[in-house]
Amino acid sequence: MLSFVLRRTAQALAVLVAVSAAAFALFYAAPADPARAACGPRCDSGQVAAVRQSMGLDQPLAAQYTDYLTGVLAGRDIDDVDGSTIHCDAPCLGYSYRLHQPVSEALADHLPVTFSLTAGALAVLLVLGLGTGFVSALRHGRRTDRLLSGFTLVGASVQIYFLGYIAQWVLVYSTGLLPLPSYTPPAEDPAAWAGGMLLPWLVLGFVNSAVFARLSRSQLLETMNEEYVRTARAKGLGRLRAHLKYTSRGAAGPLVQLLGLEAGALLGGAVITETVFGLNGVGRFAAQAVAGQDLPAVVGAVLLAACFVVLFVALADLAVAWLDPRVRLS
Amino acid sequence: MKTDVPGDRVSVPRTDGAEPVLSVRDLTVTFADPRGGAPVTAVRDLSFDLAAGEVLGLVGESGSGKSTVGLAVLGLHDPRTTTVTGSIRLGGQELVGAGESALREIRGGRAALVFQDALTSLSPFHGVGAQLAEMYRLHHPGATRAEARRRAAEMLDRVGIPADRVRDHPHRFSGGMRQRVMIAMALMNDPRLLIADEPTTALDARVQRQVLDLLGELQREHGTAVLLVSHDLGVVAGTTDRTLVLRGGVRVESAPTAELLAAPREPYTRALVGAALRLDSAPGTALPTVDDPSPARTFRPRVVERPERWLVEVDDLTVHFPGRRRFPGLRAEPVRAVEGVGLRIAPGETVGLVGESGSGKSTTSRVLAGLQRPTSGRVSYDGQDVTNPDRELRRRLSREIQLVFQDPYASLNPRRTVAQTLDTPLRLHTPLTAPERRERAVELLEQVGLDAGHLHRYPHEFSGGQRQRIGIARALAPQPRLIIADEPVSALDVSVQAQVLNLLMELRERLAVAFLFVSHDLAVVRHFCDRVAVMHRGRLVESTDRDRLFGAPHTEYTRGLLAAVH
Repeated sequence: MLSFVLRRTAQALAVLVAVSAAAFALFYAAPADPARAACGPRCDSGQVAAVRQSMGLDQPLAAQYTDYLTGVLAGRDIDDVDGSTIHCDAPCLGYSYRLHQPVSEALADHLPVTFSLTAGALAVLLVLGLGTGFVSALRHGRRTDRLLSGFTLVGASVQIYFLGYIAQWVLVYSTGLLPLPSYTPPAEDPAAWAGGMLLPWLVLGFVNSAVFARLSRSQLLETMNEEYVRTARAKGLGRLRAHLKYTSRGAAGPLVQLLGLEAGALLGGAVITETVFGLNGVGRFAAQAVAGQDLPAVVGAVLLAACFVVLFVALADLAVAWLDPRVRLS
Repeated sequence: MKTDVPGDRVSVPRTDGAEPVLSVRDLTVTFADPRGGAPVTAVRDLSFDLAAGEVLGLVGESGSGKSTVGLAVLGLHDPRTTTVTGSIRLGGQELVGAGESALREIRGGRAALVFQDALTSLSPFHGVGAQLAEMYRLHHPGATRAEARRRAAEMLDRVGIPADRVRDHPHRFSGGMRQRVMIAMALMNDPRLLIADEPTTALDARVQRQVLDLLGELQREHGTAVLLVSHDLGVVAGTTDRTLVLRGGVRVESAPTAELLAAPREPYTRALVGAALRLDSAPGTALPTVDDPSPARTFRPRVVERPERWLVEVDDLTVHFPGRRRFPGLRAEPVRAVEGVGLRIAPGETVGLVGESGSGKSTTSRVLAGLQRPTSGRVSYDGQDVTNPDRELRRRLSREIQLVFQDPYASLNPRRTVAQTLDTPLRLHTPLTAPERRERAVELLEQVGLDAGHLHRYPHEFSGGQRQRIGIARALAPQPRLIIADEPVSALDVSVQAQVLNLLMELRERLAVAFLFVSHDLAVVRHFCDRVAVMHRGRLVESTDRDRLFGAPHTEYTRGLLAAVH
C-alpha cells in the first residue's frame, strides 16, 4: 500500500507541474497584453512599458516561470503599478493589478463560499444519487426503478440556470419556504449559513446526482450477480445485509472515482450556480477575472481548480486502493 | 426406517436406521423466463436420500440441473423467478416454503456450500480469516470477535493455511489454497450437510487430487454428509459412495459408485462413462458419445516419420515479461514465462504440450502463432525464421497457422453470424468470390457436423460444443497446415469433449493437418497426440513419444503428474 501511495503522489505532483506550465503558457498565449490590461485603458505607451518592467514581463520566459514557481513555494515580493512593493506570501499565485491584491489572498476570500457550496451539494448528490441507485437496483425492472430512473433523468436534462430560477421563484419568492440564498460564515451563525445555502445545495446536488444514480444502479446490478455475493448469502447473511456489505463494496470503485472528479470540479468553482444564486465563490471570481482581463487572477484560478481536481482524483484512487486490495498491485 | 426411492437399484444401507440427513422428494424447480417466454423446468420430480457421513455424487452435463439442486436445498434461488415444489427435508425440517429467517439459520450453519471457483466466490475485499470469522459469528451470535478469529485461524490451520497468512486476501493464494479456504469456511460451523458444487473443476489434476483428499479427510472427521455435484466421473469415482446421474433435470439412474462405473445400466450413463478418458483407454479410438454410445468408426493407426524438413522448429526459446516494480525506482525482476524451450513439429504430426497452469505452455504456443514476440531464441516455420517476420511472411503465417481457443463462448464475436465469422478468413486468404465463399462456408460447417441451416445464426443460439465446432470450422477455413489448439476441450462436458475429439481425429485423418495441442489434461493428450512435451515452470521437462511418456516417464515431475490422474 505504501508503495502505491508514493507512486500515486509522485504522479499527482507531475501533473500539477505540467498544469502550472500550461497555465503559465496560457498567460502569454492570451490575446490581451498583460501589462496593458494591468495598467488600464488610460495609460500611454511609456506607462505600459514601466508596468511591463515592474511585472517582470521583460524577463526571459524561463526566468519568469522560475519566479512564479519560487513564489508558489516560498513567496516573493511584487511591485504594483503604482510603484509600491507588496510581499506576496507562499503559495503566491501572482498579483492582481486590477484588485491590487495578491491572487492567493483574493482566492482565499472566495474559497469559504465554494467550500460550503461543494460540501453541501456533494452531500445532497450522495444521498440522492446513492439512494436512488440502490433502491433502483434492488427493485430492478419494477415500477419504482422506472420512476426513479425517470426522476434522475429530469435532473440530468434540465439546465441549472433554468431549474435554479424556477426553484428560487417557487420556493423563495412565491411561497417563502426557504430564505433567499446568501452566504453567512458558519462560525457566525450556523443556522443562517445552512438556511442560505440550502437551495443552492439542493439544486446543484440534484442536477449532478443523475449521472451518479445511473452509475451506481448499473454498478450495483452488475455486482449483485457476483459469486461472492452468492457466497455471502450461502453463509447465512440476509439479502439486504449481503448487498450492503459485499455488493456495495464491489460497486464502490467507479463511484468513488466519479465522486472525486465531481468534488474537484465543484471546488474549482461552480460558475453558473454561483451566478444564479448570487454567491460570491471562486467560480464568480474567475468569471469576473476573465471579463476584466485580469490574467494573473485567471491563471491563479485555473491553477487552483487544477489542484483540486488532481488532489481529489488522487484521493479517490487511494480510497479505491484501500477498498479493493487487488488495485494496489497494478 | 426404510426409505424407498423410485429408480434406486439397491436399497441404501442406513446406519442404525436413523433418519437421513437430507431427504428430497419429487423436487421440481422451474425458472420463469424474464422475457415472457415459456418457463424452463430445470429439475423434475427428483427424489433421493443422503445419510449421515455419506457422500453422494450428483453427475450430469451442463444444463442437467445438478447445480440447481444444491441451490434449491439452501433456498438460494430468486423467489420472484423460481418455483420450487416437492419436499426437501434437512434433518427432518422441511425447507421448501420455509421462511427466510429459518433458511438463514440453515445456510452456513447446518448446511454449507462450496462453489466451483474460489477466486470469484470468496470476497476479494476481505482477508480470508475475516471471512471465516464472519461465518462463525453469523451462527454463534454470542461469540466475541476474538473467539471467532481464533476459531477461523484454527480451521485454516487444519486445511494447511499457515497462521501468518490469515490476514491475506484471496488473490494472494494459489487456486488450490483458495479452494481449501473455501472448504474450511464451509466446515466452520460443523454442518451436517456439505454441498460441493464442482469443487475442483477449476484446478490442475495434482491440486485437484490434494483438495479432494482433504475434503474426504474432513468429511470423515466431522461425519458430514456430502452432496458432490460434478460433471467429471473421474472426480466422482474416487470420492463418492453413491452416484446419481441427471439428464435434463431428470434422474437417469442411481447406484453405488463402483457398481455404476463398472456396469452402467442406462445407455446415457454408458456413454458418459465411456466418454470419460482414463489412462488405460485405447488411444486414438473413436469415443462413445451420448448420440452414439458404441461407435463403429475406426481411425487409421498414426504413423509419423521423421520428416525431411520440420514444419516447426523451436530452439532455446525464452520469453520474459516485465515484472512488477516493488518500489518506485527499483529495478523490476522479469517474470520468466518460458526458459530455453526447444520443440519440433513434423508436417501432419500432433504434438501435445502439457503442463499445469503457469507452466508457460500457452505462452509458447502464442509465440508460434506470432501473437507473442520471444525475448530470445529461434523459431522457424517451414524453414523460415519467424521471430521477426516481414509483411509477406506474416501473411503466410496467418493463413497457414490457425488457432482454436479454450472458451467457445468468449472466442466468437457475439454480434456476427456464423456466415460472417467464416467469411472473414476466406476473404482475407483465398481468391474466392462471394458465392464461392458461401459455398465453402457450408462445406466447412458440414465438415464439423453442422449444416447450411446454421449459417445465419448468432453464437448465443448454439451450445458450447457447437460453438467449439464453429471455432474449428473457422480455423479450417484457410486450409491451414498447423492448428494450435489451446485447451480446446477443457471447457466442455465429457460427452461433448468426446464429440469434439472425435471430430478432431476425423479432420486430422482427412486433412493431414498438424496440431499443437495444448492441454493440462493428460488423459486427453494421451488419447489424441502422437508426441508429448511436458513443461514445468517455463522449462521443458520431457519430450518424447506418447507411448514412451505414458509407459515409462523419465522424470519425477511427469510421474507425479500421471499419478494425480484418477
